[in-house]
Amino acid sequence: MKGAATLADLALLVPELILVGMALALILTARRIQKTPVAAVGTVLAALAAAVAAGWTLSGGAQTGFSGMITVDGYSQFFKVLIAATLALAALLAVRSLDREGIPQAEYHALLLLASTGMMLAVSALDLLTLYLGLELMTLCSYILVGIRVERPASNEAAIKYFLLASFASALLLYGISLTYGLTGATGFAGIASALAGQDSNPLLLVAIGLVTVGIAFKIAVVPLHAWAPDAYQGASAPVAAFLAAGSKAAGLAALGRVGLIAFGSETEVLSAVLLGLAALSILVGSVVAVSQTDMKRLLAYSSIAHAGYALLGLIAGTPEGVSATMTYAFFYVFMTLGAFGVVIALGERGESLDGYQGLAAQRPGTAAVMLLFLLSLTGIPPTAGFVAKFVVILSAVRAGHIALAVLAVACSVVSAFIYMRVAVFMYMREPRDPAPPRYPMAVSAALGVAALVTLIGGISPGSLTLWAVSP
Amino acid sequence: MTEYPVLSVTTFLPLAGAVLILLLGSDRLARWIALATTLATLAVSAPLYCSFDKSSSALQFVELREWIPAWNIAYGMGVDGISVPFIFLAALLSVLCVGASWTAIQTRVREFYAALLVAETAMIGLFAASNLFLFFVFWELVMIPIFLLIGVWGGPRRVYSAVKFLLFTLAGSVLMLVAMIAVYHAFGTMDFKELAGETIDPSFQTWLFVAFLAAFAVKVPMFPVHTWLPDAHTEAPTAGSVILAGILLKMGAYGFLRISLPILPDAVQLFLRPMLVVSVVAIVYGAYVTLVQKDVKRLIAFSSVSHMGFVTLGIFTLNKSGVEGAILQMINHGIVSAALFLCVGMIYERTHTREIKDYGGVAKAAPVYSTLLALFCLAAAGFPGLNSFVGEFLIIGGAFNTQAWLGAAAVWGVALGTTYMVWLFYRVVMGEINPGLEGLKLELNVREVATLAPLALLAVCLGLYPESVLSYLRVPVAELLAAGVSP
Repeated sequence: MKGAATLADLALLVPELILVGMALALILTARRIQKTPVAAVGTVLAALAAAVAAGWTLSGGAQTGFSGMITVDGYSQFFKVLIAATLALAALLAVRSLDREGIPQAEYHALLLLASTGMMLAVSALDLLTLYLGLELMTLCSYILVGIRVERPASNEAAIKYFLLASFASALLLYGISLTYGLTGATGFAGIASALAGQDSNPLLLVAIGLVTVGIAFKIAVVPLHAWAPDAYQGASAPVAAFLAAGSKAAGLAALGRVGLIAFGSETEVLSAVLLGLAALSILVGSVVAVSQTDMKRLLAYSSIAHAGYALLGLIAGTPEGVSATMTYAFFYVFMTLGAFGVVIALGERGESLDGYQGLAAQRPGTAAVMLLFLLSLTGIPPTAGFVAKFVVILSAVRAGHIALAVLAVACSVVSAFIYMRVAVFMYMREPRDPAPPRYPMAVSAALGVAALVTLIGGISPGSLTLWAVSP
Repeated sequence: MTEYPVLSVTTFLPLAGAVLILLLGSDRLARWIALATTLATLAVSAPLYCSFDKSSSALQFVELREWIPAWNIAYGMGVDGISVPFIFLAALLSVLCVGASWTAIQTRVREFYAALLVAETAMIGLFAASNLFLFFVFWELVMIPIFLLIGVWGGPRRVYSAVKFLLFTLAGSVLMLVAMIAVYHAFGTMDFKELAGETIDPSFQTWLFVAFLAAFAVKVPMFPVHTWLPDAHTEAPTAGSVILAGILLKMGAYGFLRISLPILPDAVQLFLRPMLVVSVVAIVYGAYVTLVQKDVKRLIAFSSVSHMGFVTLGIFTLNKSGVEGAILQMINHGIVSAALFLCVGMIYERTHTREIKDYGGVAKAAPVYSTLLALFCLAAAGFPGLNSFVGEFLIIGGAFNTQAWLGAAAVWGVALGTTYMVWLFYRVVMGEINPGLEGLKLELNVREVATLAPLALLAVCLGLYPESVLSYLRVPVAELLAAGVSP
């Protein structure tokens, strides 16, 4: 059934359509709702509706649409729910800080919605072109989100840096796609896989796989494609940084997982070698460079680089079990990282530098306690979700026979423990320097509560989630 | 066997108490809730000692529930004769920690008791776990409250000591994580008993042994990774020192008994000689360093290095006398070093100094305190009739059976131990009263006497009748050695 999209095809995109619809509604009514919480409420509702719709579209079993360019399966549904959660939490966390920083409500939320739409398209793509479109929609919205504090030079600088580097990476991805098309005559994952199955190894193919991998890996910010992340996170408003750190990584990992497993499934060796290098470098550089950071957003940026490396450990094996390990990692990572950024946001100006955390436990014991929980989870200490996540990806690396990589990964987790626990030391073991931070709105508390709950329950009883994290 | 999950209740009751303390916003109430929780925990653990079948080496009070079915990881609890005494010790010392902190802790009281109770949960859980995964979870969990106890309520160099403690412990335990994952990958199970039944390739055993050794050696602590201990023990508040010396150090040695010996017998044979040598070095070197300490707390901390050297020496003699002695010594050291730290903490609360030179003639002002201190110092020195004597005697016997020079070195360690303990006692308690102490009310109050009394009683009872602990150990140790590790 080649040709025009049918209604049945569109039905598969209901979650995306809900988000687009809400984004358009916000843009059209932007003038009226600028000083009201309408945009935030609308975004959260749209995110919830999209998550429900993601479940509903799967009720008929896994399907493909748009001539096999899009699929709705357990894998895409898993990530769509995760992206919807990221969207909702990013909207909740931004309540108040938008007004404080002079960011227009409607535009911020509309861009969040559109970026999430791009992520959802990317995770359900069955074709390199759809994948590219999804990732580009996400990235285009991200540039604007990073630079949305127009009057701040740092914000503009970050956006321009991000734009230049990301455009370069997009070009690499496109080049990889065109090479792949030239070699296999297909852009669909299944078509590529069947064309490759009969072929001998071809040096051009290595280049093609390398470029596609690198192009997608840029979105995840792994070393050596990480240089944009610290600047972008630092220059961006904290809720934007949180959204990028969580959502764009989840979408990139999902895309990489599906491309690696299906399209290039026969070329596991090449792909593993590339991913192995990226993972090892990211873990090492992310952990070590974070040690010297005193700006919280930069610190979390390097932490997110290291975590991207850990998440890749699952994909190296090139097996369905490995991909599910990465899914588990991505899921828990999103909540703990949003949580940590959430505390940064909740504390306002004070939360953005390490010094601001001095004596926090004496002033805000509850906030300090949830921050401690997120930090422990980021370190990977039981009984938090971060431990379970680390356990599954290291298990996956050991299964693939990469013991040395596993040892490197845990050794670096000691280095990163130093970083995270330094924040804990500031919170618990120093006297307060600044006056107590102002109370933050209910919405922020709710977002922190959800993130903390997932981080804790994920660590105590990870069983239910592992049933969901099923690779394609 | 009862249906009632004794081990889970004992393990998680303190955690429930911690949650309650954090939810209720009162510092006054926090003390009482902590006391009630720790006492209740001790009470509910009673069936473990009373209805324990000492003639069986099988795990008892077993609880096995699905936890993460997708990975075949179960929630498994169960105790044998080796773990039961430690659960008692952990439950008892937690009560005493609450008693010792009653007036000493005046800041952030709720958080303090919550951390203490979380630590209790982790300690008891560790000794009750019957699979590696759960063991690891508790192993790591205990680190956080202790890190906070040292770093928030500790002495002047508390932050440095807390971070050092955390990084040392974590560096060891991450290698255990890799080993655990490798074991799980190879055999698909984490259950201790099932793993002990597997035949593991000797070269794989070697790697696993090294990885587990990294974790256990730091915790014991063995020479030369002991350097975190003097800092942590010295800077920790009294309750923190008690938990560190009383229980935490035992976790490493318990790991050898629970994992290295039964699961990796070939590797144990391979590493036997270096382990014995390192143990003896710890005994003698630790004792010499102890002799020159000027700070009371630091002195007791360094004596732990020496005393734990006896424990690893006993374990790696791999004979009945040595291993039983080692476990008995672990319990004894838990009692005596905890008591000594309590004694130091109590007098520090009055004098605010830990320098030995600031003391002297305490006997004149505080006869009850001095009597109790004398008892514990003699016990630590291995005085016959008191508890440590029996353990050290058994270990030295085991060492002589292995190699005579090991026994000789250990005896030298005992001699040095007597010297530093008696000398400490002499400098603090005997002679003319130090002018700086004039006018201070040094004598203990009823609460403090009640805190020390159970430990004094245990020191005497175990000295006169060590069979009360040894009877638990006999069958499991015999099985442990019969399974192929004995030379």
